[in-house]
Amino acid sequence: MKSRKTLWFWCCLLGLIVFLTVFSSLLAPFSPNKMNMEEVYSAPSSEHWLGTDHLGRDVLSRLLEGGKVTLAVASSSVILSLVIGVVYGGISGYFGGVIDTVMMRLLEALITIPSLIIILVFQAIIQGGMWGMALLIGLTGWLVTARIVRSEFIRLKEEEFVKMANMFGTPVWKILWGHLLRNSIPAIFVVTLFNFAGAIFMEVSLSFLGIGIPPAIPSWGNMLYYAQNDILIGAWWIALFPGIMIFLTILAINFIGEAWKNPERRRVND
Amino acid sequence: MIEVKDLSIEIKDQHITKHIDFTIRRGKITSLIGESGSGKSMTVSALLGLLPIDAKVSGYVMYEGRNILDASVQEMASLRRQDIFTIFQDASNSFNPSVKLGHQLYTFSGERVGDTLDVFNEKMHVILDQLGLAWEVVEQYPFQLSGGMLQRCMIACAFYVEPALLIADEPTSALDMVLQKEFIQLLIRLNEERGTTILLITHDLDIVAEAAHEMAVMQQGTIVEMGTVETVFSNPRDAYTKRLLESRF
Amino acid sequence: MISKWVGKRMVMGIVVLFIVSFLSFFIMQAAPGDPATAFYGGNAQTLTAAEKERITRAYALDRPVAEQYLAWLGETVKGNLGTSSKEGRPVSEIIMERLPNTLLLFSVTMFFIVIGSIWLGTVAGMRAGSIWDKGLSTFSIATSSIPAFWLGILFIYFFAVTLGVLPSSGSSDVDGNGGVVDKVRHLIMPASVLIVTHVGIYARFLQESIKIENSQYYVKVARANGVTERSIRKGIVRNASIPYLNYIAITIPSFFGGSIIVESLFAWAGIGQLTVKAVATKDFPLLMGSIMVTGVLVVVTLFIVDLIMYAIDPKLRKGGVR
Repeated sequence: MKSRKTLWFWCCLLGLIVFLTVFSSLLAPFSPNKMNMEEVYSAPSSEHWLGTDHLGRDVLSRLLEGGKVTLAVASSSVILSLVIGVVYGGISGYFGGVIDTVMMRLLEALITIPSLIIILVFQAIIQGGMWGMALLIGLTGWLVTARIVRSEFIRLKEEEFVKMANMFGTPVWKILWGHLLRNSIPAIFVVTLFNFAGAIFMEVSLSFLGIGIPPAIPSWGNMLYYAQNDILIGAWWIALFPGIMIFLTILAINFIGEAWKNPERRRVND
Repeated sequence: MIEVKDLSIEIKDQHITKHIDFTIRRGKITSLIGESGSGKSMTVSALLGLLPIDAKVSGYVMYEGRNILDASVQEMASLRRQDIFTIFQDASNSFNPSVKLGHQLYTFSGERVGDTLDVFNEKMHVILDQLGLAWEVVEQYPFQLSGGMLQRCMIACAFYVEPALLIADEPTSALDMVLQKEFIQLLIRLNEERGTTILLITHDLDIVAEAAHEMAVMQQGTIVEMGTVETVFSNPRDAYTKRLLESRF
Repeated sequence: MISKWVGKRMVMGIVVLFIVSFLSFFIMQAAPGDPATAFYGGNAQTLTAAEKERITRAYALDRPVAEQYLAWLGETVKGNLGTSSKEGRPVSEIIMERLPNTLLLFSVTMFFIVIGSIWLGTVAGMRAGSIWDKGLSTFSIATSSIPAFWLGILFIYFFAVTLGVLPSSGSSDVDGNGGVVDKVRHLIMPASVLIVTHVGIYARFLQESIKIENSQYYVKVARANGVTERSIRKGIVRNASIPYLNYIAITIPSFFGGSIIVESLFAWAGIGQLTVKAVATKDFPLLMGSIMVTGVLVVVTLFIVDLIMYAIDPKLRKGGVR
């Protein structure tokens, strides 16, 4: 019983964060980019609940707007890596044999290279915008998905119902779609959730380094990029709140993923 | 030597055994026979004090004048260490896969009785020889040996420690016919040469006929018949035992 | 004698290094401007025709791309990584200055992460259902959800700005003569940020492996025969450490990624900070060099982990299957 309640709690929290950021333009008390040089570095007050930054912009408004950017980048990159991962893992797992061996060796090699390094290289040359960032994160984040899809396909291929379908001459696409992919969905869902957390981490890290999303666009990572200097003069609120939002979002995703990862355990604890 | 009286085991509201009584007499091979699921293995776990935490147990297991069901965790641990040796069904998985056999044989035998490694090497060498095992096995890992060889290594430890009671829980069901026979011969030898008391758990009447002196027939958590092998075989009283014996021939 | 398995792992490492070298070479190709000036670095206007000619020949810049790659790879293997376009010094020199700092940070954090996670994981794993067992799971999820650099910012605010007990950034005093104490003072914050955000997940992985190992048949047999708990625990931890080491190997690349960010936050003068600086200042030769070095570091670390696994797991040594 307890376990189901906590799962609900984390789902609600994540839902709330998504809701707040999606409707940021309606909910934000100020325009996120409106500067006010009279009010730089003002601590949290009744007017600015979470204070203002070095240009006098309202932290709460930027927090909501920044969340929208961060979550949008993360979601689109996750969708991209999901597609690549399913196709790559699916081909490797379905065909097997030499194709599988070659593809898996390549994947093993790629997984050894820190994806941050790959993204840094491309950022150095292209220095893309917000969607360029999403593209890069998506292109480097599909490896684990591919691995999971492959092992699911290999497992399912041996199942009786798939063998039967093959014997009855069911078209290949129908087997792939209706049998293999459909039955892999729980596993894919879990890995995609964790991927989503990873993508958020990647965006905030890169933007924090000043080489992610262009500084003009507010995102949780960009806010922390400025915060590292603001903290030295004691303006803690600029760093604290975006970090808490990132922490809570990732925490919620991780707990939901954990609960899904092991359905048996969830049932026992009910 | 061991007297089980009114032993009932219950796990998650399921009766595993119901009020069972049987005795293991000193110096004899007593066989507990029954189908899988009849409660044999749980009875063994109860004797060893290794029941799952959620198991409820009542009754008496009298050993040396006291009920060992009441013994503390430490007392049971020292009993398992000093008086009882247990051989399980699946020999291939009975050893830690990444530790050399020599070291494991030592923890199962020499270390138990407090011998140094040197004493162990000397004594074990002789025993392995007698059992037809090359001394080289001590340098090998479990996955390099067959199940039959591993089971013989186990009984080598029993020869070494000469326990007051040897429990053999389906020791041969993972072995093929020839190895089964060999292994049963070893058990008989252990009993005859060293006078070791043996509790032999099995589902195989041939093994009972060959090795045991006394037998207890178990069915669905109860003991339906108990007696010497001769009397039970020649004059079975219970319907289930009769069916068992008929299906044998 | 090197077994087949170790050989395989070595080949894998070499393949990885080739991929990293493609990546690095790609920067050279894709970077704006004349490759020759990129290798020269510094002020391209002062480059004489003769020097330009020499570089062009050394790197086969007038030849097809494949030959250029081989020429560049040859120079790289020899240790010639070109010249930084911003500092005008050889890249290899800059990297050698910074390598000790990265190795120091990496080995200190890894040491504490491994020791801490083995201790926590064993305590929690051997006591299934206890407060340790449940607590560690929550602790691990919570700490791995914290962005390391954010924790670092909070640390700076607390320990450097508010309390003033630790330096907020850098890897040594300005003059670099502070000695060991100074080094340690600078190391504490970056190291503890990495340790706190990583020790939990590794401990949890070991905990789960130990729980699985604890339910193995051979453990039941050992318990039934009165083998001491101490000796049983030793066997369990040893076997559970094989998947645990494998997990370390899998996560090492992302750990390197994390340390790049932490190095940058604390201005810890290591390779990670150098890489980020090279990207920000578009110093392409420097970026190429630091990527190659990071690649080598990852491959060497993974190989060390492989060797430890090889020592622990007899199945790998005896050519069995796993």
